[in-house]
Amino acid sequence: MNIPADLLYTKDHEWIRVEGDQCHIGISDFAQSHLGDIVFVELPELDIEVGAGQAIGVIESVKAVATLFCPVGGTIVEINEELESSPELLNEDCYANWIAVVELNDKSELETLMEASAYSEFCRQAETGV
Amino acid sequence: MITIINPSTDPCFNMAVEEYLIKELDSPEDIFMLWQNRPTVVVGRNQNTIEEINPAFIEQQGITVVRRLSGGGAVYHDQGNLNFTFVVNNSRDFANFEKFTLPVVDTLARLGVKAEYSGRNDITIQGRKFSGNAQYKHRHRLLHHGTILFDSDIEAMVQALNPSKAKITSKGIKSVRSRVTNISEHLPGSLSVAEFKRVLAEEILGPDYGQDRPLSPTELKRVQQLCCRKHASWDWAYGSSPPFNLRRTAAFSWGNIDIRLDIKRGMISACRIYGDYFARGDIRELEYHLVGTLYRQTEVRSCLEAISLQEYLPQMGYDEMIGLLFV
Repeated sequence: MNIPADLLYTKDHEWIRVEGDQCHIGISDFAQSHLGDIVFVELPELDIEVGAGQAIGVIESVKAVATLFCPVGGTIVEINEELESSPELLNEDCYANWIAVVELNDKSELETLMEASAYSEFCRQAETGV
Repeated sequence: MITIINPSTDPCFNMAVEEYLIKELDSPEDIFMLWQNRPTVVVGRNQNTIEEINPAFIEQQGITVVRRLSGGGAVYHDQGNLNFTFVVNNSRDFANFEKFTLPVVDTLARLGVKAEYSGRNDITIQGRKFSGNAQYKHRHRLLHHGTILFDSDIEAMVQALNPSKAKITSKGIKSVRSRVTNISEHLPGSLSVAEFKRVLAEEILGPDYGQDRPLSPTELKRVQQLCCRKHASWDWAYGSSPPFNLRRTAAFSWGNIDIRLDIKRGMISACRIYGDYFARGDIRELEYHLVGTLYRQTEVRSCLEAISLQEYLPQMGYDEMIGLLFV
């Protein structure tokens, strides 16, 4: 399982890369590998205000549909439209292919997210139940 | 495992029950529900509804069209079809279709019918599909549901799911046609769908059989809300389709016409009309008026009536135009 050390993670298996007041968000390797072949991505709406944990999109694979949650509160300032025509990019490289850029409302919200080591342990527990 | 008793056959209500069970009911126990719909087409979460249905047949037969939370292709339900839903807390069951379909296979084995799970989320008898399955994950909870064709009207199914040949392009999920069969055709003896339902429930629930409850008045109220606000709405069943483009051409005695529409979130977002007819008004004005209108017959008709279609297309009647835009 690829879990880059320089990112933050959520229990819903999203990753966050913070750059100043903005952050790129995407889905983790755990998420893409469990979903299997991804066939459709419904992207968030641009310029909308979202709260942390709010549903902002949908990812459909050959096996299931999963809700995409916004890990942090803020405004959606960019979306990766390439994913609309090539959803499989999320399987190919889920960290290079971000889904959206969020302008943060409150940087202190980042403290609730997991660092790579904690997320790695979280994934292990999710897999084994121990 | 707790069984939810849900005697409703209203598809919008039933879709709302599923949404309530996975998103709002905080139950430490797993949930099971067997339910049925009156004649309905259920499209997948990311399908373009009008690419999947035959609107003329659906209107004539009074078939309801709803969208489900899970993915995949469009299916037809009627009261010869039985639906089963599991909502479990263990997200490790994610993508494990065999676990949820095995009880159906086992039940049929008990009844003397050999069925098997096929790789593509289906259960088949002699290679013909009678059960389609899909999953929807919401946080740590997982919903698995499936259809079971017991003695459905296959002829109606084929007609309802036979879309027009209009040129529509979208990134939405396309349905895959399968050869289908009803379980009743394969049973050695005769069995009603109600009897089959009981045998299936016994097999799935084992010692938990009989641990059931109806929805409480508070729950029913919440489900009704979800039903009215979302599942019974045009916005959800049609308007939540992925963006699509529609191109329609036709030859009339007065000339040829070529119309192209882009539809996003159920609304006409771009429109071009070409043709070799004579018109008083500038056709760009008509295009301009159509943009921003919901792609829905009643809305488009009132838009055309408000600006007088004859200004731009002198020989074209409203019904002709509507017939062209909605096939």
